[in-house]
Amino acid sequence: MTTQTATEPRAEILLIEDDAEIRRVLRTTLGAECYRMREAASVAEGLQQVHARQPDLIVLDLGLPDADGIEVIHSVRKWNRNLPILVLSVRANERDKILALDAGADDFVNKPFAVGELLARLRVAIRRGTSVHREDAEGIFHLGDIAIDLSKRCVVANGQETHLTRIEFKLLQALIRHADQVVTHGQLLNEAWGPNHTEQTHYLRVYMVQLRRKLEADPARPRYLRTEPGIGYRLVTEHSD
Amino acid sequence: MVKKFTQYFGSIAIVVLCTLVAVALRSRIEITSLAMIYIFGVLVASVRYNRGAAVLNAVLGVTTFFYFCVPVHDSFVMEDSSYLITLSAMLAVALVITGLLDRMRAQSDKVRDAELRIRSESMKNSLLSAVSHDIKTPLAAIYGAATSFLEEEDRLDRAEVRGLIGGIAAEAERLNRVVTNILEMTRLESGVEVRKDWYPLEEIIGAALSRFEPALNGRPVTVKIPRDLSLVCVDDVLLEQVFVNLVDNFVKYTDPGTPLLIDAVRSGESISIIVQDKGRGFPSGSEERLFEKFFRGQTSGVRGVGLGLAICRAIVNAHHGTIKARTMPEGGALVSINLPIGGSPPDLTELAEGSTA
Repeated sequence: MTTQTATEPRAEILLIEDDAEIRRVLRTTLGAECYRMREAASVAEGLQQVHARQPDLIVLDLGLPDADGIEVIHSVRKWNRNLPILVLSVRANERDKILALDAGADDFVNKPFAVGELLARLRVAIRRGTSVHREDAEGIFHLGDIAIDLSKRCVVANGQETHLTRIEFKLLQALIRHADQVVTHGQLLNEAWGPNHTEQTHYLRVYMVQLRRKLEADPARPRYLRTEPGIGYRLVTEHSD
Repeated sequence: MVKKFTQYFGSIAIVVLCTLVAVALRSRIEITSLAMIYIFGVLVASVRYNRGAAVLNAVLGVTTFFYFCVPVHDSFVMEDSSYLITLSAMLAVALVITGLLDRMRAQSDKVRDAELRIRSESMKNSLLSAVSHDIKTPLAAIYGAATSFLEEEDRLDRAEVRGLIGGIAAEAERLNRVVTNILEMTRLESGVEVRKDWYPLEEIIGAALSRFEPALNGRPVTVKIPRDLSLVCVDDVLLEQVFVNLVDNFVKYTDPGTPLLIDAVRSGESISIIVQDKGRGFPSGSEERLFEKFFRGQTSGVRGVGLGLAICRAIVNAHHGTIKARTMPEGGALVSINLPIGGSPPDLTELAEGSTA
């Protein structure tokens, strides 16, 4: 277990979850990682704590006893667009996840989850909250041995420079902005084509195939531009191997 | 009741037909042969219709036979007795035949009910034995490891503790897979909604493969999808599950280093996808049963509930496709999937960006 105290000075996490055992596991784990923890077991209690404590991040279960957890997202996003929200979901239904993400949740973790995965998502969500720029001084974003020149709109992969089309560039830009987080089809369509084209998801998919062919060594086994079936895409920059 | 009405109507129609034939032939053949025409009629009615309609046919048949076919000069006494004899014979035919058929039908219904009961019993039994074995075994390991830690904490060294906790994590993961498969199968059987749209096949296969990143390390994977095979109309979440289950089998049943090939070609209005490995192949003679629920190709060593391929088949069937498995002559398992492309793909020319780029 690595301690994050140096980069994330004891961020305060509000956990809204009704199951006492899950709360206990997270309390122990996040405590060991030096996060400060607050707990709530219902939507009402959770919202009260959000206002009282102003946490740095919310970990939210969707199946809460008094209301759907998505109510928390709607309520928080009315007054705070930057507070990171990470959703815990047991539901296999992708539609619920899309609803939560499009309502403003940052990412999700499926129950049952491995703690390592949860911690990685937490770190990414907190980092987004502080909007860290990940390009170097020349405006170049590095993805393994791939260099993406954001000012020249081109990619250097395997020593070969490839130009990106306008749409490809917009998509990649959006994914870089949300690096290591899931971005829904709706959000990407909105970024690349504007709010009137959020239905034509197949365009988006064909563009992603093209983008993979320009970036990935083996486009059929993508390392960076991952698909989350039924939900959207995720640009994976952190690899465990 | 409409059905009953048509039965009586059909019965009357047979009498009319018999009468037409009899009237046409009455000058040329004997009266006993004419009676046979009506006997034939009641036979047909008894086989096809219910008892009431058959009796109606007998009564009407005898009456019209006497009205149209028996010469008027016969005495009334003669006519009455022969009428009664013919009527009894015809009624006997109608009643015996419908009675026999009713009994036969009842028996075959009983046999079918019994068969269904046996089949659902054995379904329940295999579900129960699969559930009790594949859920209880990992649960036993988890419970055992956790209680062992609680009881023996002071006497265990660090490595032993790690071993116990590692076991808990691995068994919980296994349990999760079993439960997920059972839930998925139940969901598919209760008629899941297939939400189709146009997807690049490459992307769906890529999503499935990337779920196996550490497990696939060291196993060469080749994916061959023609570049022009752009879009297929499928439910991406469901179809991804098919490839996840196939790759999962590959990882479970082949040795590290075994190569895997995924190859797709277009053939007319459908695509054929082949998932082929260079492992041991399927147990011989099991190719037909592989896709049955709870069928386990290999019971020792590898644990699983035997639902992976059954889920694949349910999903492919929901897409109006077919899935087959065989062992290659030179060894290795081959699963072939045939899926309809699902219409004409949307026009992508707008994508060209052109001047806006």
